Amino acid sequence: MTAESNRMRRRRIGRVFRDSVLMILFLSVAAEAAEPIKHQITGLFSTEREADLRETFKELPDFKLVSIDFKNAEASVEYDPAKEFPNAKPEQVIERFDNLLRQASRHTFGIKPLRSLPKDKLTLIEIPVVGLDCKGCCLGAYDSIYKLPGVEMATASFKLGRVTALINPEKIDRVELETALKQRGVQLKTE
Amino acid sequence: MTSGFRSRFLAVMFSLVVVMLARVAGAADQFPKAFFGVHCLECHDSGVKQGGLDLSELKVDLSNADNFARWLKIHDRIESGEMPPKKQARPPVVETAAVTKWLKESLIKAEQTQLAGEVRTGVRRLTRAEYENTIRDLFDMPGIALQGNLPGDGSAHGFDKNSDALDISHVNMAKYVEAADHVLDLAIATQPKAPTVQTRRISLANSGGFVAHVILNGDGVLLKNKQPDPEFPPAGEQHHIDEGAHERIGSFRSGATVGLFRHEDESLSPYFIEHVTIYPGRYRVRTSLWSFQWDKGKVLPSRGTEAARLSVVQLTGDGRGGQHPSYVLGYFDAPSIESREHELVTWLNHNELIGFNTASLAPTANYNRKGRAMAFTGPGIAVDWLDIEGPLHDAWPPRSHRVLFGELPLAEFKPAERPGIRAPQRKQVRHLGAGRNRPDPSQGLWTVSSDQPLVEADRLLASFLPKAFRRPVSDEVRRAYVAKVEDRLKAGDSFETAMRWAYRAALCSPDFLYLVADAGSVGHVDDHALACRLSYLFWNSMPDDRLTELAASGKLRTPDVLRSETDRLLKDSKSQRFIEDFLGQWLKLRQIAATDPDRKLYPEFNPYLQDSMVAETRAYFRELIDNDLDATHLVRSKFAMLNEKLAVHYGIQGVVGSQIRRVDLPADCPRGGFMTQASILKITANGTTTSPVPRGAFVMDRLLGQPPEPPPPNIPAIEPDVRGAKTIREQLDKHRTDAICASCHAKMDPPGFALEAFDVIGGFRSRYRSIGDGDPALRGSIDPFIGISFKLGPPVDASGVLPDERAFKDVTDFQTLIAADSGRLLRNLTQQFAIYATGRDSSFSDRDQIAAIVTATQKNGGGIRTLIHELVQSSLFQTR
Repeated sequence: MTAESNRMRRRRIGRVFRDSVLMILFLSVAAEAAEPIKHQITGLFSTEREADLRETFKELPDFKLVSIDFKNAEASVEYDPAKEFPNAKPEQVIERFDNLLRQASRHTFGIKPLRSLPKDKLTLIEIPVVGLDCKGCCLGAYDSIYKLPGVEMATASFKLGRVTALINPEKIDRVELETALKQRGVQLKTE
Repeated sequence: MTSGFRSRFLAVMFSLVVVMLARVAGAADQFPKAFFGVHCLECHDSGVKQGGLDLSELKVDLSNADNFARWLKIHDRIESGEMPPKKQARPPVVETAAVTKWLKESLIKAEQTQLAGEVRTGVRRLTRAEYENTIRDLFDMPGIALQGNLPGDGSAHGFDKNSDALDISHVNMAKYVEAADHVLDLAIATQPKAPTVQTRRISLANSGGFVAHVILNGDGVLLKNKQPDPEFPPAGEQHHIDEGAHERIGSFRSGATVGLFRHEDESLSPYFIEHVTIYPGRYRVRTSLWSFQWDKGKVLPSRGTEAARLSVVQLTGDGRGGQHPSYVLGYFDAPSIESREHELVTWLNHNELIGFNTASLAPTANYNRKGRAMAFTGPGIAVDWLDIEGPLHDAWPPRSHRVLFGELPLAEFKPAERPGIRAPQRKQVRHLGAGRNRPDPSQGLWTVSSDQPLVEADRLLASFLPKAFRRPVSDEVRRAYVAKVEDRLKAGDSFETAMRWAYRAALCSPDFLYLVADAGSVGHVDDHALACRLSYLFWNSMPDDRLTELAASGKLRTPDVLRSETDRLLKDSKSQRFIEDFLGQWLKLRQIAATDPDRKLYPEFNPYLQDSMVAETRAYFRELIDNDLDATHLVRSKFAMLNEKLAVHYGIQGVVGSQIRRVDLPADCPRGGFMTQASILKITANGTTTSPVPRGAFVMDRLLGQPPEPPPPNIPAIEPDVRGAKTIREQLDKHRTDAICASCHAKMDPPGFALEAFDVIGGFRSRYRSIGDGDPALRGSIDPFIGISFKLGPPVDASGVLPDERAFKDVTDFQTLIAADSGRLLRNLTQQFAIYATGRDSSFSDRDQIAAIVTATQKNGGGIRTLIHELVQSSLFQTR
C-alpha cells in the first residue's frame, strides 16, 4: 500500500468520524430540546396556502405543524428527526423531509434550509401581473421563479395582481424574474 | 327503297335467317325458330347485332355457361315484355308464352343436368363475424374482439357467406392459431379468486388528459352546483397557465363537473383515462349528463336536450395513445340543467377505456379566439362524473373456464411438488397507461388439477367438442384429441397446458372453422346443419343448447317447431347481429363511412348524424320484421324510425332526444322506406355530389332485383360539376343520346332521377348546393353554430319516366309507382334472404321455389316476417 493511499484512507475515516459526531450532536439537541424545528417552506405563495399546508400535515401524523410564519415562508414543526429519518445525516434530514412533504402535497409544498442571508442584504421585487384568480395559475407563476438561484422567497397572487420575490441582488435581478414569468405564460401588467 | 322491294328483301332475309337458325340450333328440340326470325332477327342478326347480340350465331347449347347466361337474359327480356321493343309489332301473347315456356323448360333442364348430384351450398369457413360471434357464445365472452385481427372476407353474389368468397390461406391459419391462443388466455382462470371488483368515479378532466388542457384554454369550463366553479374561473382574456401546476394543486380533483363546448377533433380526444382495462370482462358504466347554454360566463338553460356519445377506445399496445373509437357504446341524452344518469353493462377488452364526445354540438374552438370562454355564447354538455365498476363475475371460475375444465378444482402449482412437469405459462398482468385501477397482487401460480388427467381429458373433450363443432362428435375423433393430451402429458406439460393443446387444435380444425352440412333425407341438410343454418342466419353464430337438443331429437324440422324457433331466435337480442350483418351487405350499410362529405357543401354532417342514419335503417328493418309489415314498406311508409338528430335533418318537428323511435311522417313528407333514408342516400353518393346512375343502379339491384348490366369498357365516369353551372341531369341527357348507353340508362336513371331530391347526406333539396355560382343559401335546419358558405345552384328536377312509360313528377310519385308492384319487391327480398341464408347464389331453377314462397307470403298478408317463416319452411332453405 502506498503512502498516498494510506493518506486517503485516513481522510475517509476522518470524514466518517466527523459526520457521526455531528449527527449525534444534532439528534441529541433535537431530542433533548423537544422544541419545534423551524424550516423554510416552499409553496406558500399566498395566505390561502396556509390552510392547504395544515391539511397536508394531517397526512403526516408524526409531524406536528406548530405555527406558520407566512411573511418569512417559514413553519415550525415538531418531530423527532432520529425517529423519522433514521441514519440520516443532518443535511439529509432536510432533504428527506422535503421529499416527504412533496409526496404528501403532490409536489406543491417543500422544505428548504433557512435563509442564510439577513433580510437587509436581500431585495424585495414586486412584479405586477394579470391573470386568472386561480390557485393553479398562482402555483404556476410561483413555480417559475422560486427555484431560481438567488430567490430566497416568493409569492404569487393574480387576485392581488402581483408576484413578489425576495432576492439576493448579487445573484439575480428583476429582468431575469420577468423573463422566467413570461416564459411560463404569465402576462406582466406592463405588457 | 320502295315498300315492295322492302317486303321482298325482308322475306328473302327471313328465309335465309330461318335456314341459319335451323342450322345453328339444330341441337335444340322444338326451337321456336319462327318467333325469333320474325320478332328478333331484324335487330339481332349478324349485321345489326343490336346490344352485341347476334342470334344467328348464338347456339342453343345450354351446357355452355356463356350461352346459358345469354339465353337466360333473352328469356327474362321476353318474359318481362321488354323485348321485342315497344316500337315493334307485338307478338301474339300465345306465341310469347310458348317461347318463354320453351326457354324456361330448356334452361331448367340444362341447369338440373349440370347440378345433378352436386351439393348446391359449397363447404365454407366461417366469416370473420361468424367466427367472433361463435367464440363469444361458446365461451360466454360477449365482447371479446377477434375479427379485427383476422384477414378480411371476400364477397360473392352480394354477401360474404358464400364459399366463393371465403378462401383460406396460411395467413388465415396463422391468425386462427393466434386467435385461439388469445381466446384460451382469456377463458382460463389463473387465480383462485376473481379479480377484485374496483369501483372508481372518474372526472372527464383527468390529469394528463386532453380535456384538462382544453379547459385551461376556454374550450370547456369547470362547474359546481350548475354554476362556474369559483375556484377555477373560465378562461377569458387570460387563459390558465401551467397545466402541471393545476394538476398538482388539484384543480381537476375537486369533484367539479366538466362542461365542454368543443367537439372531438384531430387534437381533442376526450377520454376517461383513469380507467384502462386490465382484466377483460363485463363492466358497469354509469354517467351523469346535462346540458346548458353558456353565455359569456353564465350558465343558462340549454336550447333542448343535447346528446353525448360514449365509446370504447382501444389504446396502443404500450397503453399509450388511442385513436378513433373502436366502437360506439351509445348516444345518451343530456337534458337542460337537470342531471340525468345513464347506466349500461358492457364488455371491455384489455387496454380499452371509455371515450366521450359532445355529439350533438357543432364544432367550435375558443382556445385561439379573443376572450375565449368569457366571450363565447353557445351550447355545452356537462359531465358530472363517470363511474366504472368491474370486472363483474357472477361466478368464479368464470363460465369460459368451466366450458373447458368443468368443475375441476384450481390448485397452486408448486414446482417442487411436481417434479418433471413444466409449469403453465402466464402473461404478466400489469398496470396500463394513466389508469388508476391496479392489478391484484399475484397469489402465485394456480392451475386446474386432476388426479386422473386422461379420464378427465376424455370427459371434458366429450363435452366441449360437440359444442364447438356444432354436431355430435364420433368416439374416434374425440380419442384423437385425447391422444394429443396424452402426448403432451408425456412430454412433461401440465394438465392445463396439455388440454390447451387439444383445445387450440379443436379451435383451428375444419370442424370448428367450417360449416359442415351432412346429407339428411332427399337432399336436405341434416338436423344439426339445419340448426346451424338457423342460428347462423338469425344470430350469425352457433346454435344454443335448445336448438342443439331439438336437432338431436329430430324435432327441429317439424314445421311448428321451426316456426317457434324462428320466432325465438328473432326475439333474442342476438338477432341484432342478423339485422346488422344482413343490412350491412344487402343495403351496403358497411360502406356508410366510405365517403367523407365535403365540409364546405355539407358542413352540418358529423359522426352523430352518420350513426343516426345507420341506426334508423336497422331500426326500420327491425320494425318491419317485428310487425310483419308488407313489402311496400321497403320503398314507401307512413312512418320512420328517428331520433332528434335525424328528425331535424329530415325537417320533422317534435322529436326530442338521442334514442331512435317510431315517428309518424307528415302527409307531405317525401320520406318513408329504405330508398329515402339518409344512410342509403349517403352510401349511393360520393361525398361531393350525387349521380342518378349509381343511385338508380342501387335501387335496381338491391331493391328491385334487376341488377343493371356493367358499363361498357372505356366509358368515362361523369365528373360532377360542383361549381353549380350544370346539373347532373343535363350531363346525363347528353350521355343518353348514345343508343348503346340509352338502353340501360332508360331503366337505371329514373330511380336515380327521383332520388335527386336528396343530397349526398340524405337531406331533402329543391336546389343543388354549389361552392361557386349561385344564390345565398338559407340556413334551414342547420345548427346556428355551424358556419355555412355554400350557395344554391340550379333547381332539382326529380321527375322521370319509367321504362314502361309511367311518368312521375317527384320522389313521392316514384315511390307510389314502385310500391304498386309489391310482388317484385317481395321476390327480390326472398332472393336476398335465400342467398344470405343458404350461402349459395340463386339459380334459375330456384325461381319457382322463390315464386312459391312469395305466393304463400302474399296469401298470408305479405309481411316480411311471414316471408322469413315461409323461407325457413321451404326446401330452398333446407337443402344442401
